[in-house]
Amino acid sequence: MSTVNRRLARLHVVGGGLGLAAATALTLEKVAKLRDPAHVPTCSLNPIISCGSVMDSPQAEAFGFPNPLIGIAAFAVLVTSGVAVLAGFEPPRWYRVALNAGAALGAVFVHWLIAASLYDIHALCPYCLVVWAVTIPVFWYTTLDTWPALAPLRRVHSAVLALWYVLIAGLVLVEFWDYWVSLL
Amino acid sequence: MSRTSRKKNRSIMAARRGPSLNVILTGVVILVAVLVIGGVLVVNRSGDEGAASNEALVPAGAHTLSKVEGDRVTLVEFLDFQCPACASYYSGITKKLEQDYQGRITFVVRNFPLEVHPLAVPAARAAEAAAKQGKHAEMYHALYDNFEEWAVDGRTTSADTARATAKFEEYATAAGLDLERFRADVASDEVRATIDRDVADGTELGVNSTPTLFVNGEEFQPGGGSTADVDRELRAKIDAALAG
Repeated sequence: MSTVNRRLARLHVVGGGLGLAAATALTLEKVAKLRDPAHVPTCSLNPIISCGSVMDSPQAEAFGFPNPLIGIAAFAVLVTSGVAVLAGFEPPRWYRVALNAGAALGAVFVHWLIAASLYDIHALCPYCLVVWAVTIPVFWYTTLDTWPALAPLRRVHSAVLALWYVLIAGLVLVEFWDYWVSLL
Repeated sequence: MSRTSRKKNRSIMAARRGPSLNVILTGVVILVAVLVIGGVLVVNRSGDEGAASNEALVPAGAHTLSKVEGDRVTLVEFLDFQCPACASYYSGITKKLEQDYQGRITFVVRNFPLEVHPLAVPAARAAEAAAKQGKHAEMYHALYDNFEEWAVDGRTTSADTARATAKFEEYATAAGLDLERFRADVASDEVRATIDRDVADGTELGVNSTPTLFVNGEEFQPGGGSTADVDRELRAKIDAALAG
């Protein structure tokens, strides 16, 4: 079986690109906020949709520095890796396992951030939503591609992804129910 | 060479994936999610229209002094018509506020007659009986505007039911109510049940004194000070809710 999966590579380029853009935007907002503490980020629309309150939370600097810096580094690697594969690079086993491990760490981190956003910070940040939205499929499809034992799951790959998204969207809906209802 | 192997690989993958099963399951997941979320939203919306999703706070048929489309900002006051603090809230805060925010907020008043006020229940009954003829707001205003006439004897709380009843009927006549019907409604089980419901709802919401106000479901706890201070605080809360 060939080790090359161009569809996965395209997902890495597109997903990584979106994640990179979101992480860059968050970093720029962070810099603007450091320059001027009164700065209101472009993505702070109301008390619920507010990256200001998310960026100011302790969870936004989980490792002592702003999280989006991790995003800039990691998503750039992901894009580069995808481009390399599209250019003809045939990754050896260890490379794919390592990439999968990286995606898994990213997924764990993102789910921790989702929990923090919903249950500690009680606000949503649009750029963070982009990162959530791309990290999940990148992790899922990279994992499916890396481990032949998961072949049966490939038959229902997008159903699992849809279920995953629906669960998180459901948690977001329930947590901010009053806000969504007030929009009607 | 690599091109053919890639092609082969893709066709194997396609056969193995069984696109129909995957597509069907994906569709089912999305469809169920849309139906559940949509269904709950629709039920919630028709159940108690809008933001004040709390049935205990704003039940169907609650009396409003001001109403805004969709109840974007809701102020709910649990009050006792014979409570002096409520009367001073009325004259110092809510009477003016009702006018200033007319049509911009939904202002709901609920009964919470306290046992220490012997005329509180008769007054609540008068207000509810007037509501049955569509004149709740008029009676509410009359009861507070004329607080001195029926609720107090000088500085003490009045227990003069006969005088109060006569006054209430006077206000009812002034509001253009059918007096016979008003008297029957004052004594009716339906009016009593409405007041009991308000008290039960208030108790459930943790109300234990009057006046107690809720802005968008959140209890308003004034920092204290003069009535003017409380007025400023309350308006700031409402303005913030309007802006948000």
